[in-house]
Amino acid sequence: MKSLPLFLIVIVASVATMIPRFIPFYLSFLNKVPPFIKKCMSLLPVAAIGALIFPFTILDFLPVWYAGLLGIIAAFVVNYYKQSMLLSIVISVIVTYIALLV
Amino acid sequence: MKKNVGDFSYREGFQDGIPILLGYFSTAIAFGLICRNIGIPFFESCLYSLTNFAGAGQFLAINLFASGALLFEYFIGINLINLRYLFMGVALRTNLSKDVKGIKKVIVAFGVTDEIFTVASMKNSDNLSFNYMAGLITSSYIGWNSGTAIGFMMGMILPKALQMAAGVTLYAMFSSLLSVEFKNKGAKVLLIAGFSAAINSFLILVLSFPSGWSFVISMVSSAFIGALFMKEEN
Repeated sequence: MKSLPLFLIVIVASVATMIPRFIPFYLSFLNKVPPFIKKCMSLLPVAAIGALIFPFTILDFLPVWYAGLLGIIAAFVVNYYKQSMLLSIVISVIVTYIALLV
Repeated sequence: MKKNVGDFSYREGFQDGIPILLGYFSTAIAFGLICRNIGIPFFESCLYSLTNFAGAGQFLAINLFASGALLFEYFIGINLINLRYLFMGVALRTNLSKDVKGIKKVIVAFGVTDEIFTVASMKNSDNLSFNYMAGLITSSYIGWNSGTAIGFMMGMILPKALQMAAGVTLYAMFSSLLSVEFKNKGAKVLLIAGFSAAINSFLILVLSFPSGWSFVISMVSSAFIGALFMKEEN
């Protein structure tokens, strides 16, 4: 794939992203899903978050395995009390930076 | 309350999108940095964000690209990663004002991301106006694309250690989102996310699954199990 023009690779990614975005707006078969499936759907974002964080927040910072972990704990706590995503992200980067330096 | 044009103005949408703008901006900085680190030029990095507007999906996509996946695997992988948009689209569509069609519908469909969907759903309206959605998408889109460009340029001046630390922004953003969900819905949110984290870690670390497949399996199975065991409310 690396021999293909990057431009094309970007467009392929866009098409692959847009297919699931557009289908529900133009086809209606998805409307008649049972309540249980709807319940599953409503839990998908939370379920996605777990898998998006682990294990890569550990792996990305190896050999300092706890650097990313401390960062996300900081983000969680700061956002819980302050409800500011930007603040929690900035503090998270600082905590991770310190953990990587120490 | 119900007007023809639907609930909420462009201005309200734009304002509701500001927290997303900030979160996206800092996350996209990480995306721009990573693009530069794996050798994607400035123009293509910006084009990636302009045409995909996919948050975490883009990180997974460039991961697949950098790991040398075949074009077909890459295409299927990105589709699966973004499968959740199917369900978000179904839910969002039923909340939209009836006059959202034609080019308006194209714009709303283009702008379905996790955060935009979540914010729009939290308005608890079944008559959301196009203007509101357009405002929400505009501020988020500005954050995502300006962040990508600035992140790429920051990569040229930031010290290496700080660049590495900036890699935590994506996870920090998810962690903050989880904290909001936890505050609103209680401990079951942490159970579901923890379960999904455990399955994903097991699949990747123990069974060496490719990250795209592992992500989809973890997400779908945890949502399924969560729905089985949590029958109360909603």
